[in-house]
Amino acid sequence: MTAAPLRARPLGDSAVTIVLGAERSAELLRRVHSAARALEAAKIPHVEDIVPAYLALTVFYDPRHASYEEISASLLAACDRATRLSAAPRSREHRIPVRYDGMDLEAVASATGLSVKDVIARHSARAYTVDLLGFVPGFAYLSELDPSLHLPRRAQPRPRIAAGSVAIAAAQTAVYPLDTPGGWHIIGSTQTVMFDPTRDAPALLAPGDRVRFERVP
Amino acid sequence: MITIMRAPPYITVQNGGRKHSRSFGVPRGGAMDTFAIRAVNAIVGNSLDAAALEWALGGGSVRFDRDCLFAIGGATARATLSGKVVAPCTTTRALAGEEFTVEQISSGRFLYLACDGGIDVPVLLGSRSTYLPGHFGGYEGRMLRSGDSIALGARPTTLPAEGFHSAADLMPRYDSAIVHITSGTRDDLFDESAWRTLTESDYRISTASDRTGYKLEGPALGNSLGMLPSEAGCPGAIQIPGDGLPIALMADAPTVGGYPKIAVVSEADLPILAQRRPGGSIRFQLITIEQSQRALRRRASDLHTISQLAVRSSPDWKGAR
Repeated sequence: MTAAPLRARPLGDSAVTIVLGAERSAELLRRVHSAARALEAAKIPHVEDIVPAYLALTVFYDPRHASYEEISASLLAACDRATRLSAAPRSREHRIPVRYDGMDLEAVASATGLSVKDVIARHSARAYTVDLLGFVPGFAYLSELDPSLHLPRRAQPRPRIAAGSVAIAAAQTAVYPLDTPGGWHIIGSTQTVMFDPTRDAPALLAPGDRVRFERVP
Repeated sequence: MITIMRAPPYITVQNGGRKHSRSFGVPRGGAMDTFAIRAVNAIVGNSLDAAALEWALGGGSVRFDRDCLFAIGGATARATLSGKVVAPCTTTRALAGEEFTVEQISSGRFLYLACDGGIDVPVLLGSRSTYLPGHFGGYEGRMLRSGDSIALGARPTTLPAEGFHSAADLMPRYDSAIVHITSGTRDDLFDESAWRTLTESDYRISTASDRTGYKLEGPALGNSLGMLPSEAGCPGAIQIPGDGLPIALMADAPTVGGYPKIAVVSEADLPILAQRRPGGSIRFQLITIEQSQRALRRRASDLHTISQLAVRSSPDWKGAR
């Protein structure tokens, strides 16, 4: 499959979004992640941050020292090299112990027509991929949730979800890294610290990482 | 040290924010008015990125526990030091034990108080800023309360003169009705009529506005585009949710989001928007990326000028080497 040509578009005067494709797919996501890693490694001057997403990645730069034309030309060239090389993305595997004691577990079971035991078995059966980070620091959107567990978000978000809550919504699952409001269905909890601003790597998970949930009593 | 005697409804420690942690989902955060906080730092002889107090929503008072050269700026406030009026953007000398009081914020939204040496709280992810939604940064990741005592950094070796004042023409025009924006974010999604609506109407800041975003009231933009696959946003990005009413993302907005973004507020004008109160109105005017970057470079050079003038006002200044 030949990749669509890369495009750059400005996000204001201090960031540029490099678009790698038009349709969400696991393959496109892998290309976005490897391009993001290649740009990090390239250490392009005046680049401050790189934020990969589903179809594109966004690069924040210091506009006092680089114009939009200069920076987008260097980024497009570097992304183009990276996506043609298509090096295997560096991805780590994580095992996150989960106690399936969430307040919505029963409701999820009845809404999906499964037993509680089946909900737990299906959620802990597969490995998930980190699509992207966002919403709050360290919040990783994990894709490929078992289709029998897909439920829309709760109509009324809760004002406070405890850090470590394991949740599902639509085709994704996640662990709430901080005490925040949230509209996902809570099915369990983990002691694993997903985000700690004092750590060298503050977020446990990075885009492209693989995650398995392990049931603990 | 500086002690909060009577905390205003909102007060936090802020600086320029976090510029290298967005990939972990950490927003830039930092001061809402990135110009004013740098200006008051420059005026007291601090580095531009030193931490200062961001103060909003009402009066309160703090006590200086050591001699201190301080300055206030951003919002306009009726403020006093031991009963004497404190002028904005001007250095004032406080003696240990003196109390600084804000009676009322009369116009604008965020007031900044910089002390020589800056506020000394731990640096987390490259910044001393408080990120309230994440409960980290600044002072214990929270707003300051009455009775809190916070450390100040070492005093700069060259202190600007008492009464040093920064010229008004080096400051943003906070009373400007015009806020400049740039396009190009999603030109494919918005037609000419959406652009006409956005740039030819007055928009009012809604009461639903905080450090995360300012909801704007005015004509809705026709296109209802729903949600797109999430991608990065930034402070100043103008997103259009289902009801067609724009939301300008502000300092604490999440790093990624799915609402289509029509434009981005020029970084140089973001302080003007940030200082608008609910009920205040603005009009957007389109400029090019190059013009927007030029305006930002001019602001940076104005801040450099303030720093230079402040240092040269010092009785200890020995001239250029």
